[in-house]
Amino acid sequence: MLELTNIRTGYNAFELGPVSLAVEDEILSVLGPSGCGKTTLLSVVAGIQSTDDGSVELNGTDLTGLPPERRNTAYVFQDGALFPHMSVRENVAYAAVNDARVDDLAATLEVEDLLNRDVSTLSGGERQRVALARALAADPDALLLDEPLANLDAPIKRRLRFELRDVLAALDIPVVYVTHDQRQATTMGDRIAVMRDGTVRQVGTAEEIFERPASTFVAEFTGSVNLFEADVRDRDDDALYLGWDDAVVEAPAYDVESKRVYFCIRPEYVMVVRKDRPVDERDNVLTGTITRRIYQGEDYVVALDLDAVDDLVEIRLPTPVYERLSLADRDQVRVSLKKRALHVIDDAEAIR
Amino acid sequence: MFQTESIPETDRQTGWFVVGASLGVLLLLYYLVPLGALLFAQSPASVAAQLGSARVVSAARNSLLTATASTALSAALGLPLAYWLARTDVRGKNAVLTLVLLPLVLPPIVSGMLLLEVVGPNGLGAFTSLSFTRSLFGVVLAQTFVASPFFVVTTKAAFESVDRHFEHASRSLGKSRKTTFRRITLPLAIPGIVAGLTLTFARAIGEFGATLMMAYYPRTLPVQIWRSFLNDGLAAAFPVAVVLVGLALSALLVINAFGRNPWRH
Repeated sequence: MLELTNIRTGYNAFELGPVSLAVEDEILSVLGPSGCGKTTLLSVVAGIQSTDDGSVELNGTDLTGLPPERRNTAYVFQDGALFPHMSVRENVAYAAVNDARVDDLAATLEVEDLLNRDVSTLSGGERQRVALARALAADPDALLLDEPLANLDAPIKRRLRFELRDVLAALDIPVVYVTHDQRQATTMGDRIAVMRDGTVRQVGTAEEIFERPASTFVAEFTGSVNLFEADVRDRDDDALYLGWDDAVVEAPAYDVESKRVYFCIRPEYVMVVRKDRPVDERDNVLTGTITRRIYQGEDYVVALDLDAVDDLVEIRLPTPVYERLSLADRDQVRVSLKKRALHVIDDAEAIR
Repeated sequence: MFQTESIPETDRQTGWFVVGASLGVLLLLYYLVPLGALLFAQSPASVAAQLGSARVVSAARNSLLTATASTALSAALGLPLAYWLARTDVRGKNAVLTLVLLPLVLPPIVSGMLLLEVVGPNGLGAFTSLSFTRSLFGVVLAQTFVASPFFVVTTKAAFESVDRHFEHASRSLGKSRKTTFRRITLPLAIPGIVAGLTLTFARAIGEFGATLMMAYYPRTLPVQIWRSFLNDGLAAAFPVAVVLVGLALSALLVINAFGRNPWRH
């Protein structure tokens, strides 16, 4: 287990921390916008960057203050950092115990055919495979990856994402995977830590992060487009009643303190309701006018201007569903923001 | 340290192009013509005849010996300093760098005066029987003072051009600072370091001003040129000059052989 406790460090104007994180033998994706301190966090674990405060422990050993070479935490850089004066084989063998290990890893990462090549002849995807093979050859106790797929073309990125996931999951050591791409974070990570301005804002499984964001920042950064401000009008044991302009929506009974809160619903949970279907309160049915329809390949995104509310709600419909509904611009439709799909955020910091 | 790709221009302004090109060619000719003069001013036969003379051979031997020694001394003392300058962020770094550049801006003859003051009979020389002046050692001291900044500055740039990610990657793979330097940093910096050695050697072998003050004897090639010119005129100085230029040019060839001319960046 990799355990960071109250890590604090800074250089120039940037401050990281305090950050506390525990990574079991799992893949933890660290997700955040550029400049949030993700890479600095990795550098601290690797010992490349020193800390002002706090401790780094790996499998019970205190690493704080140890030089990088005595931590056994292999670091894979965004560009691979392959040594340009060495062949691919020499790179992989750099920290390997023996040649068998080199061939073994080359086979796992499908780079056997590249071993005698010059690193300058490798494609982006090949570089990352070789960089990972080199890191694994050192038999690290923890693996640190800094945006390893960021520089790759979309098709290679997609394929490598799943392959990489399999290789990393089989390692059974703490793996920290830094990315700014939520799709990679979810594919790679058993859990996700969302960072902003040098601190971790939320840690949880992908489902937790995406469906129950702890703050408006996490909601927005993970692509929650349907994020609205509302007033807590009333509450009982089962529900919060939120005043949303001229509408009232029923939300699960979140324990919120503020009077003014946010709620969000992912576009794929917004349901289009047929005119003849009976509904009840918990369905939170609202009417609106379609203002925009955008085809995105696997699905359609439809924007609806609600009648009772001065807000647009986005609906994501799988293409076959969209086609069955045969929607058109200016159509009046009823939508349901089902109570159990609503997530309420008490984020005093974000209330304007 | 980056290269720009040349983009085909659509609106080449021919007038300015001609002006710029003419100015450049003029300067290039100004470099080239004196070299030609060196070769053609004297008949090759008369130059060749004097090449074997004792004074030329002795001066060439002294020059090669001292320039090699001062290059080695510059490298031994300058390599750690260059690495430190390339990697540190400490506050005093610029002051140190300025100090390194000082011998470059001091007129060499003034450097010679100052060195003479420090190591001459009234300085260090008063405490020891070693001869710091009027000896090959004195020549090495003068050359090192004047030429070593070339090594430090060029080598610093060579280390700076090594991406720190390579060093960080190596150390995170379990290799010590020392191993990382030996297997990663040094091999990647070596073309630049060779360029530094070559420049240092070229500067050292041509050193005149400071050497003149420190050690008129034993004579190096530049001092011999001066001496021959004073005593017997330009014609007598030419064969010595040919040897010196030959040595300096071969230094330039070494740089190009390593493919890294430091002025190209």
